[in-house]
Amino acid sequence: MAEFINVTTLNRLARDVLAQCEPLSHLIVCGEISGFTRHYKSGHLYFTLKDETSSVKSVMFRGQARLLSFEPQNGMLVLAYGHATIYERDGAFQLYVDYLRPFGAGAAQMAFDALYKKLEGEGLFAPQRKRPLPPFPRCIGVVTSKTGAAWQDVQNVIARRWPMTRLLLAPVNVQGVEAERSILAGIRALDRDERPELILITRGGGSKEDLWIFNSERIARAAAACRKPVVSAVGHEIDTTILDYVADLRAPTPSAAAELCVPDQRELRQKIFILQENIQKNIQNRLQICYNIFSMTSVQKTAQRQHLLLQRRQGELTQTQSALYAAQHRRWAQAQNALRSAAAVAESLNPYGVLARGYTIATRKGRVVSVEQLQPGQTIVLQGARAQADCTVQRVEMTETQGDTTE
Amino acid sequence: MKQPKSFEEGMQRLQELLTVLQDETTPLAQSVKLYAEAASLISYCKETLDTAKLQIEEIDAGLAAKTEETL
Repeated sequence: MAEFINVTTLNRLARDVLAQCEPLSHLIVCGEISGFTRHYKSGHLYFTLKDETSSVKSVMFRGQARLLSFEPQNGMLVLAYGHATIYERDGAFQLYVDYLRPFGAGAAQMAFDALYKKLEGEGLFAPQRKRPLPPFPRCIGVVTSKTGAAWQDVQNVIARRWPMTRLLLAPVNVQGVEAERSILAGIRALDRDERPELILITRGGGSKEDLWIFNSERIARAAAACRKPVVSAVGHEIDTTILDYVADLRAPTPSAAAELCVPDQRELRQKIFILQENIQKNIQNRLQICYNIFSMTSVQKTAQRQHLLLQRRQGELTQTQSALYAAQHRRWAQAQNALRSAAAVAESLNPYGVLARGYTIATRKGRVVSVEQLQPGQTIVLQGARAQADCTVQRVEMTETQGDTTE
Repeated sequence: MKQPKSFEEGMQRLQELLTVLQDETTPLAQSVKLYAEAASLISYCKETLDTAKLQIEEIDAGLAAKTEETL
C-alpha cells in the first residue's frame, strides 16, 4: 500500500517549502486591487491583486491596515510589500501584505482625486469658507513633530519677525502608525484650547508617501471643523495635499507659513517711524502756523495803533495850520485896512493933490519955497498939476501981516 | 496718560491721533495734549517690540490623549 499523507501535512509541507524560498519572504508585488473588503469585525483587509493574466489572494491585518493613509479602492494600482505563503487551512496561496501604497501617479492620483471630488462636492474647499488670519495673533497653535525641522523653522521665523506671540505646540507624529490619530488629536486639542487664535499644521519636506497622511479625509474634516483659521504647510512648494485645500491658508513651506501667520516687526517699526514723523511734522507745522498768525496779528496791531496816532496828529496839524492861516489872514486884513486908511489920509495930505484944484507950488533949486521968502530977481519954478513954469520974481509984496505965518 | 491694552491698540490709537492732529479745527491746546499722548504711545510700542521674546509652550499631552479616545 502506497504511503499517504493527510491534507494538513501536505499543506504544511508546501508551506515549509515555500518558507525556504527566500524571494517569497520579501516581496514587492505590483497589481490592481479587486474584490476589496474590510472585515467589519476584525478590521483585516481582504482583496485580490491581479494583472492582465493572473491574480493572487491577499490579506492585510488590522495592525498594518491602521498605517494606511489612504483608502484602497478597487481598480487602484498598488505596490504591496509583504511575503507570500500557503494558508494551511484552505491550502490557498496568499500574499500577506505589511504595507501598501498606491503605485505610480495614476493610483495615488486616483485616491487623491476621489477624495478631492468628494470634499469639493461638500463645499469644503469653497473660497467663501476661507477665513482671514488675525493680523496680530497673540498665540498660535502649532501641530507638528517636536523633533522636526519644520518646528525649528517656525520658531526661528516667528522669533525674528514677531516675537510678541506665544507658540502653543501640540507635538504629534507626522509619520507612522499613529500619525493620523496624533494629528487629529493635536488639531482638536488646539481648537478646543481658548488661547490659540489660529492653528498651523505643518511638516517638512519628504517623499510623496511621507506626506500622504495629509491627504487623510479625517484630518481634512477635522481642519474644516476648526473654529479657528487653519494654516497648512506640508512639504515643499510642489506638494499640495487635501489638507492644503481645506485650510484657510496654504503656505508652500513651514517657514513661509510662519511668515504668513505673523506681521513683520521691521514693517511695524517702519510704520511707527512714519507715524512718528507725521505726528512730529504735523505739530511743528501747527505751531509754526500759530506763531505766524500771532506775529502777523501783532504787527497789524502795531501798525494800526501807529496809524491811529498819525491820523490824530495829522488832524491836530491840520487844525493848527488852519488856525494859523486864519490868524495870519486876520492880521493881514487888519494891516491892509490900516494901510488903506493911512493911504487915504496920506492921499488927503498930498500937497500935489491940491494942484489938481488949481493951486501951484513954488520951488527954487528943487526946494519948495514960500512966497514970503522970495526976493525979486530970483528964479523959481511954478509947479501945477499938469505943467510947470520957470518964472522970475519981479516984486514981493506982503498982503497980510500975521506974525505966525511970517516966521 | 493711560497705557494701551496691547500693541495693536497702541498702533490704532496712534493712527487716530494722527488723524485728529491733521484736522485743522483741532484747537492748539488739545493738539499739544494729543502730541504728548502720541509720544508716550510711540515709546510704548517701540519698547514692546524691543522687549518681546517668543514664548513657547506645549499643550497638555493628557488633553491630546483624551481627544484620541473620542476618535
